[in-house]
Order: sequence, then C-alpha cells, then structure tokens
Amino acid sequence: MYTLSDVTKNYRKGDYTVVALGGLDLSIEDGEWLAIQGRTGSGKTTLLQMLGAMDRPSAGAVRFSGRDLAGLPEAELTEVRAASIGFVFQTFNLIPTLSAIENVETALVPLRIPAAKRRARAAQALADVGLSDRAQHLPSELSGGQQQRVGIARALVKEPKVLLADEPTGNLDVDTRDEIMSLLEKLWREHGLTLVLVTHDTSIAERAQRVGVMKDGRLFTGAEPDDAS
Amino acid sequence: MGETPAPDDRRRGAAPFFLIYLAREMQRRKRQALLVAVGLAVGIGLAVTVTAASAGVTNAEGAALHSLYGIGNDVTVTKAAPAPNPGSPARTGSSGSAKFGFSPGKTPQHEDLLGYPPGLGVLDASSVASISRLHDVAAAAGVLTLTDTKLTVPSLSQLGPQGQPPPGAVTPTTFSVDGVDLAHLGLGPLASAKISSGRSSAMSDATSDVAVVDSGYATANKLIVGSTITIAHIPFKVVGVVRQPQGASAADVYIPLGRAQALAASPEVSNSAGKVDTIYVAAASAADIPAVQKEIARLIPSATVTSSGNLASDVSGSLASAASLATDLGRWLAIAVLIAAFAIASLLTMAAVARRVREFGTLKALGWRSRRIIAQIMGESAVIGVIGAVMGIALGFGGAALVDAIAPKLTATVAQNPGSAPAQDIGVGASGFHHSIAPGAEHTVAVHMSAPVTVTAIALAVVLAIAGALIAGSFGGWRASRLRPAEALAQVE
Repeated sequence: MYTLSDVTKNYRKGDYTVVALGGLDLSIEDGEWLAIQGRTGSGKTTLLQMLGAMDRPSAGAVRFSGRDLAGLPEAELTEVRAASIGFVFQTFNLIPTLSAIENVETALVPLRIPAAKRRARAAQALADVGLSDRAQHLPSELSGGQQQRVGIARALVKEPKVLLADEPTGNLDVDTRDEIMSLLEKLWREHGLTLVLVTHDTSIAERAQRVGVMKDGRLFTGAEPDDAS
Repeated sequence: MGETPAPDDRRRGAAPFFLIYLAREMQRRKRQALLVAVGLAVGIGLAVTVTAASAGVTNAEGAALHSLYGIGNDVTVTKAAPAPNPGSPARTGSSGSAKFGFSPGKTPQHEDLLGYPPGLGVLDASSVASISRLHDVAAAAGVLTLTDTKLTVPSLSQLGPQGQPPPGAVTPTTFSVDGVDLAHLGLGPLASAKISSGRSSAMSDATSDVAVVDSGYATANKLIVGSTITIAHIPFKVVGVVRQPQGASAADVYIPLGRAQALAASPEVSNSAGKVDTIYVAAASAADIPAVQKEIARLIPSATVTSSGNLASDVSGSLASAASLATDLGRWLAIAVLIAAFAIASLLTMAAVARRVREFGTLKALGWRSRRIIAQIMGESAVIGVIGAVMGIALGFGGAALVDAIAPKLTATVAQNPGSAPAQDIGVGASGFHHSIAPGAEHTVAVHMSAPVTVTAIALAVVLAIAGALIAGSFGGWRASRLRPAEALAQVE
C-alpha cells in the first residue's frame, strides 16, 4: 500500500529549521495494522499527514498504490484524500452545526454521490458504529465516545483503502477507549482495511500487528512496544 | 453486524448538501449572521433614505418650477419695466414725487386702484399674435398681472396740524388680479387649476364683469359662487372658485383680459388697452424650446425670454440649498457609509472564517476542494446579503418616513424680473406722507418635501446588499482557499 523512501520534512521556525522527519523509510502492506508510538514532537502526526496526502515532504517519495503523492498536483491529492483515505482525529473534528448523520455525509460529498444514496450510506455507517438513534443529534449533544464513533463512521463511509487514526482515544476515558479500540479492530477485520494508528498508549499499540517507534524524525519498526510518553 | 438504519434517516436530506450545510449554518450561528446583516442594513438603509430624500428634493424642485413657471408653459416672455418717471402725472393729477397722489377733500375718499406690480413692463397684445404665428409655436397667451389696492383717503378735517393723516388712517388692502386670455385657459395662470365650485370663465365672459377666485382667498374673505367683489370700483360677480396646486404662484382673482386692460391704471402706462405684461408660449415639442426662445428674442429684442431651464438656474432659497445638499453631501455620505458597511461586513466574515479554520481544514482533509468551501462561504454571504437588503429596505422606508415627518417646508425664490423698478408709492396731500404698496420684485413658492422610496431605490438596495455580502464573502473565501489541511488542523483552539 505505502512505500516511503528517504522522506524528510522540515519546518522553518523563525531563524532556525525544525526537522520533523529526517530521511524516513517505511513500507506498509495492504490490510496491515501498524501502530506508531513516540514522544510528543517526535514526528508521528507529521508522518500521518504525509500518509494522508495532507502535506508534502520536503524531500523523498511517498508512494501510495504506486503513485508518488509528493509529485501530485493539489487537485489530485484532494481526490486521493476524498476517495481512498479515511482519517480519524484525536479531537474528533466534527462540524458543530451539522448533525451526526450530516457529519458522516461530509465524507461522501466530494464523491458526488446522489443525495438519497449518500444519506442511505451515512445512515448505514452510523448503524455500523451503533449510533442509529443519535443520527439527528448535534456533536454538542453527544458524549466523547459517541463523537469519536461518528468520526469513525465518517472515515469509513467512503470505503477507503486505508484508515489513518491520530490518537483516536487520546481524549477519552479508559472505558470508552477500550470500546473505541474494539470497534476499530472489528471494522479493520470486517473491511480488510490498512490501518495506521498513532498512539501514546502501549496497551493500544500492542493490539496492532506491527509497532513502530518514532525517534528523532525516523521510524524504528519491529521494536517491542514501549510507552514513549 | 451493525444496526439497521431507520427509514426516516434515508429519506431525509435528499436536498443538495450545499443547501443543508447553509441552512444549518444560518440556523445555528444566527447571532453572527445577524450582526453582519445589520451592518449591511444600516449602510443600505442610509443609502435608500438619502436616495429617497434626493428624489424628494428633485420632485420638490420640479413642483416648484412648475409653480413658478406654470404647467404646459415652455417659454415665458416679459419685459423689464422702464425707469420710474417722477414727473409723470398720477391718475388724479398730484404733485411732487408721489406716483399716485390724492388730495384730501371735505369728505373721506374711498379709492380702488387696479395697478401694475413693480418690475414688469408691458408688451402689446399684437406681440402675442406674432409669437403664435412662429413656426415652432403651438400656442401663445397674454396675461395682465395687476394688484387691486383699496384705501380710504381721510378728509381735510381728519388731517393733523401739519397735514398728516391720523395714525393707521391710510392702510391699504390689496389682492392680486390676473387678466387671463379666455381663448387659451390651458396656457397661463389657470392651466393647472381645478374648479372646486361653480365654473371656469368662458369665451362668452370676455366683456363681462365676472371673476374666478382662488380657493384660499375665497375662504379668507368668505366668498362663494354668486358673491360680489369690487375691482377698480366695478362690482364683479364670482362665477367659480379654483384650487391651484401646492406652491403654485396663484393670483387671488382671475378676470377676463379685456376687462383687466380696460380697468388697469398706471402712471407709466397711459392706456392699458391691448397691453399684456406676460406672454406664455407652448412650443410644438420639447426639442423646439431652444429654437422658439431664439425666434422670440429676434422678434422682440427688448423682451426677456426665459424657459423653465433658465428659471431653474435662477432659483434660490432653501429648496436650492437642499438640492445642493442632497446631491453633493448626500451622495458622498451614502457612498462613505456603504464603503464602511462593506468593510465591516468583510472584516466580520474574515473573522468568522478564522474561527472556522479547523472546520475547513477538516473538510479539506476529507477531500473537499477549495472551490466547494468557497462556494459554501459565498452562499452563506449571499443569504446574509438578502437578509441585510430586506432589513436595509425597511430601515430606508423608516428613514424616508422620518424625513417626510420632520422635513420643513422648502422655499424656492426667483426674481420676477431682474433689475426691476422700485416700489410704487401713495402720497396723501402735501404732507409728504408716503406709503409703499409694492411687494418685492421676487416670487417665492413653498413646497413640502417628501421622500419617496422608488422601485429603483429598492432594486439598488438589494443589489448593493448582495454585492456587499459577496465582497465580504470573497475575502473570507480567499482566506479559506489558502488553508492547507495540515496547517489548519495543527491550529489547536
């Protein structure tokens, strides 16, 4: 699914340059579940944004299904995000003025699916995460766990090739955390997704097939899961 | 397996997502939307009010010019009065510098003079015929504008030791009299009058002592159809009462021209037969007016030939000041307020977009293109613009109603005949007592200013409000289009 070769990402902060990713190499197979751990500021989110076609590397190649995302024009990157990549955010990032079902629909709008079919798929996605009875509720009327379920439904409704999750349980309590992780695991198995999950939590990382640790802008895989917080 | 979704959820929301998102945004961010709409509404309301006030002033100018000039009348021909001749004999043959002199007798004398107002000279009635035969002239009518003055000259026994009359003994009463051409009542002073009782004068009245009186004068003097008024000692029967338009330069009494010519008296005019002092001319078409003016000026070189266009530039008074204010200050004020309203709307819209950076970054991360996000912002702005337009029009109507309610009467003044001769005097005996009976040589009309809100102003308000909102939206959209998903999501609130 992914092949990253010597990927570097630098940010300018005033007079000096921050190296977020320093010559990173990574391969991710179809259907694999990779967990990425690391200290705060180690570059985990930056790596996820590279994989999600949300940012371009300063150097190197990011191949996704054979295409180098780094060289694609903005319009094509947008299409890749729309059709192939589902993203789950730590802070849920639901649109506050839209209901749960309407939030799920936002993922289907760029695909120009007819309105009735779009609404039907969104309703099914909410049903898959157990939130049919909350379809008309605003995010402010949902608990944290329920909001993250909506976020997961939104990420999966488009039947993406890959699901990227950035600390999906970071803002949740322990019980809800387990609930969400169980749901993600179930959906990963059912849909045959490629899942890349960033987490601080070793117990969550241990559920993955493979764990990588970010350190100094590079990813070390095959290492024992370690609580890097 | 997951739950089965409720059928309602599948059926609802078949509408385009653009409208759903827009409706939700308007519903749930009402206060912010209203704030921008109110800002636009204030600017639009002021622009509508100023436009209405300008239209009102223009209408008032038109009404004043019509009143000063006369409806149906394209060109007016007058003549400056000659310089006064102090030595010319008065009607009763007085001495000294008085124009009209009266010698007291054994008993009080009741005098009734029908004289010429100062400033206007006379033209021959043959000039009317000559003008009416000109190529581009549709019709011409002559009018004699006079003033009836009644006073009581005290008897010799009533005079004081130095020959002066008792205080207040010589106080004249006056009213204006127009001698009108009965063959052309549609041209001249009665052109815009409406009969409120009785009848108008007819051709058969040409040699009769009949009069039509103005409704205001009739009310003040308790005159009705059938009453008698005395003009130059001659009793005239009132056959009709007319109402002139507001602000019209109305005489008090209208009599046949021939009777006015027969009864008029003036120290400067020995014989008023066949004389007029104003000729009203209707051109064949509006385009012919300049040519008619030139032809008349060639025909009667000593005459003053004016059109309504000439008169407009001579008008002074508060109406002229209001017109200038509405045109200059009013226009720039409206433009300045509109620019301020657009600027505030733009800033508020950009601020609203800034608050939604994470939201737009998320949508971009989900695969929304910049142009779809910009279209959403522009759609929200257009709705706010429509709301602002409706509120602005309501404010504009309110402002116009306020102008209607509190605007003072505006006056328009024009010199009746520039360079006119001084007022005429009355002298009594050899005492040197003089009393001026002459009004000034200016004519003033008063008009009430209204502020009509026209369809054009409403359409302009809608266009301006929506344009302003879209300008504001374009600034917000520009900002949104520059967001990169990664940067937008990195902004932690």
